[in-house]
Amino acid sequence: MEEIDKIIHEPTRLRIMMILAGLEEADFTFLVPTLDLTRGNLNRHMEKLESAGYLKVKRSFKGKVRNTSYQITQKGSKALAQYWENIDAVRRLGKS
Amino acid sequence: MNSKQNKSKDQNTEKLKEIPKWTRKYAQNRTLTILVLIVMTAFFGMFVAFLVGVPLALAVAGFRKGNMILGCVGIAVLIAVLAALVKFYIFIFAKFGGKNKGLLDQIIDRWIYGREGFTSMPQPKLSKRKKWLDIFVGIVYMVCLIGSMELGMTGYIPVKYLLPFMALFVVPFGVYQYYVLWPRLGPVLLICPILYTIHAILIIAGVPIYFTGIFAVPLNMLLPLIYTLLTYMIGHLYSRYALKKLKGITHLEKEVANGRD
Repeated sequence: MEEIDKIIHEPTRLRIMMILAGLEEADFTFLVPTLDLTRGNLNRHMEKLESAGYLKVKRSFKGKVRNTSYQITQKGSKALAQYWENIDAVRRLGKS
Repeated sequence: MNSKQNKSKDQNTEKLKEIPKWTRKYAQNRTLTILVLIVMTAFFGMFVAFLVGVPLALAVAGFRKGNMILGCVGIAVLIAVLAALVKFYIFIFAKFGGKNKGLLDQIIDRWIYGREGFTSMPQPKLSKRKKWLDIFVGIVYMVCLIGSMELGMTGYIPVKYLLPFMALFVVPFGVYQYYVLWPRLGPVLLICPILYTIHAILIIAGVPIYFTGIFAVPLNMLLPLIYTLLTYMIGHLYSRYALKKLKGITHLEKEVANGRD
């Protein structure tokens, strides 16, 4: 069994990854209320996930408003799938 | 940690796994944008029909009654209206067509769902072959629609059987639309063909759920549009439910993480 990915294992980051796993793209405005976080807090988690290569950031303008949206990368998808495999393995071990 | 706590943690982990499902359901069912687009297009179509229809009717009436001035005024207004429409369509195409395709959807989406933020589902893959197939299916659908209207107007199809007859092409077209637009839009799109099929079956079974009278043909033909609007309305309501479910799970996980469980 591989080691649990500490970057994803953090509850907030896990939720971010799970949300983005269901979509092609989501922006900052959607993630803040959905996760019930402050903008600063979300930004901090996003930076960590981005530096790990799990997320791709797209900065653009929607009309006159600056918009930042996020997309899960292939590396991120793989890491998330692996994370759940490991967690399930740990849970199975705990039950036996 | 006792077994009760373990069980609760297990349940929360399973709920966490549902996040992508509810996120996807939410994003797929932000259908109010399409509903607004359909209503806008329908109203604009009626407005154009009115703009063209009035001078045309004036011109025809003028020439029939031998009133050349009225006839010529009608033609002049008609030409002016057509010129204005061409100019308007060129403006619209320059602003929302070509490279800007989808911009109008984005503007409406921002207007309706702006406060909730932006989410997107993968766009359907559009190969050249699929594009031509879409155009072909669209043409066939329009031919069937106009053909049914003609057959209904001329009495070849009794008003009672117009809707079940139309179900023969409206339902397969609805199902085709679902496959074309998936995963951008979800199974909610199947509501329209399902409702239409039920309606057609009920009519054949003898239930009098169809319009009669002088406007019977156009009113019966409008039913697919009504079911389409209903479908998108249901989609929007479902997106509210999905968002609530999603927030329920994500906020719950936060509470667990903060030790408030």
